[in-house]
Amino acid sequence: MGLLEFIKNSLVNLDAGLTLKYVSDSLKCNVSIMDIINSLADGMKLIGKKYEENEYFIADLIAAVEIFNESMDILKPKILERREAKPLGKVVIGTVEGDIHDVGKNLVRILLEANGFEVVDLGVDASSEKFVDAVKEYKPDIVGISTLLTSTMMNMRNIVEVLEREGLRDDVKIVIGGAPVTQQFAESIGADAYGENAFKAVEICKNLVKK
Amino acid sequence: MNSRERLLTALRHEEADRIPIDLGSTDVSGMNCLVYRGFRRFLGLPDKPIRPMVTSGSDPSLLTFYNMVAEVEKEVLDMLCIDVISINRTLEPTLGDRRLSKAFINNRWRVVELGFKQWYWREWDLTIEIPDYIDIVESGDRYIASLGGREHAIAPKRSFYFNSRRFSTPLKNVKSIDDIKNFNWDFYKISDMVLEDLRRRAEYLYKNTDYGLIYFRIGSIHAWPQDLRGWSQWLADLRLRKALAEAVLDHVMDVVMYNTKKIIDTIGCYVQVVGLADDLGTEESPQISVQMFRDMYKHRYEEIFTYIKRYSKAYTFLHSDGAIYPLIRELINTGLDILNPIQISAKSMEAEKLKKEFGEQLTFWGGGADTQHILPFRKQEETVEHVKKLIKIFAPRGGYVYAPVHNIQPNTPPENIAAMFRTAYNHGKYPILDI
Repeated sequence: MGLLEFIKNSLVNLDAGLTLKYVSDSLKCNVSIMDIINSLADGMKLIGKKYEENEYFIADLIAAVEIFNESMDILKPKILERREAKPLGKVVIGTVEGDIHDVGKNLVRILLEANGFEVVDLGVDASSEKFVDAVKEYKPDIVGISTLLTSTMMNMRNIVEVLEREGLRDDVKIVIGGAPVTQQFAESIGADAYGENAFKAVEICKNLVKK
Repeated sequence: MNSRERLLTALRHEEADRIPIDLGSTDVSGMNCLVYRGFRRFLGLPDKPIRPMVTSGSDPSLLTFYNMVAEVEKEVLDMLCIDVISINRTLEPTLGDRRLSKAFINNRWRVVELGFKQWYWREWDLTIEIPDYIDIVESGDRYIASLGGREHAIAPKRSFYFNSRRFSTPLKNVKSIDDIKNFNWDFYKISDMVLEDLRRRAEYLYKNTDYGLIYFRIGSIHAWPQDLRGWSQWLADLRLRKALAEAVLDHVMDVVMYNTKKIIDTIGCYVQVVGLADDLGTEESPQISVQMFRDMYKHRYEEIFTYIKRYSKAYTFLHSDGAIYPLIRELINTGLDILNPIQISAKSMEAEKLKKEFGEQLTFWGGGADTQHILPFRKQEETVEHVKKLIKIFAPRGGYVYAPVHNIQPNTPPENIAAMFRTAYNHGKYPILDI
């Protein structure tokens, strides 16, 4: 088993110390950074599978994200040194105006990054104007909107409408998610897709940029 | 049969004359202030400032109104035939004065006008009544609440809730177990003055009313560490930094057991239900595995519930949102009597299954209407059918207290709320008929 396999397995086992050690060792051995990131991404994917199969829980996902982030911190200086690959796509993501819950949104952001997307994070309580400005500035392929509250989910419709009014709607795909959101609701507000959970959201984004 | 007997009968898993009904005995079984104002109008009652319930959070020292759940006036309790109240209520029936915390001993209120917006065209105004030591000022697109000149919580105008800033994650940056030891844990212990106030209030309501009485938020052992360390970080602590997590939990338990003992010894003879609040679930599954629950929490819950049951006749109540099916058996084994709010739309939380598997040992308090997907959005007839179906599942053989799943949210039509309570009353009469 090579170092890359070790990285993946120790991440899947949520062993922070070992994962970081193998990532550092790989760098020392001049393993390609893309390969290291891919191993981490494979690990995250397996963790996602375990989550969907009820073997892992949100606590495990968050632990995995923490290990992933620490690994990326080791890699970041090298990534900036030589950008190896073009991102898979660009996503602007944020929690809707009026809502400050960001656990779900952060999970989606990290998983998108792990899968090779470039992500612009607008944070929480993000107004429709903020989304419009970000779409103008970053020209993303996808806009991701999150909410936890039934009382703020209607603000998602507002973002779609404002993007329409600004003539930007056709330039982006809109993916929404969060506890009260349903497929039916996504359709009713004119979003392109609904991500039932963080892993599904990433799959959806991958499919959307393929098209 | 009076309300208290009705509640006790249900908690003994027997059928009373009808199912007991709750609205607003806790800040997780109530109605948002804005929707409550609309509901009062619908009932033909005159407008008046709405009093948000002042409660502690997961943090036992925190006394806030920030989740904006309305205290329910006696007239509304009567109209809806509500059977349970909190001993901490400040509206009739009550002793009135309430010692809110160590520093604040008063019963003076301040009226504040708020305006909320949703989308770019819907606007609401709302007049609330809050303790007079809290200031609320408007600042651009948000309201800022402050206490003693310090910014305490913020409400964006497009939201209907204040988000607390005051005690935000004070243990976020601790590095060592010594840091945890040196934290001012005693700050969170209940004072004798507050206890004496609780005793007077509980005794008054016990002797002068027929309501079932609840004391809610005696402690939290999962949600509080999550407040102290940060929601996500605490979950990672449990998994990656076990020694640190154990140290935090030992101190948390020290405070929770101190408060539990004091409160039970003081009011245990007056209240029928004592409640804890801990959110252990997400929409899809518990936040933690069953194994982790056993390692970190099970014995701790057991210690709390055992004390309550040994030294009082009160039934134990736990509020936990979300999909917690895999933990329910574990919780019953720790001595839990009552579960709330029974989030029936979450994964594996189907009403039939829960009643069948746990109905003999566990009382369900909630689950009476889906406040996320049905109550705000469906027609009145659909709401009635929805409520009837759930009562038919939960009510037989007792062990059921009617309440919707968690608080009734803004934008819920008052017609649906009225239909829900009417159905709970009319169709909640025993024996439950097959109609």
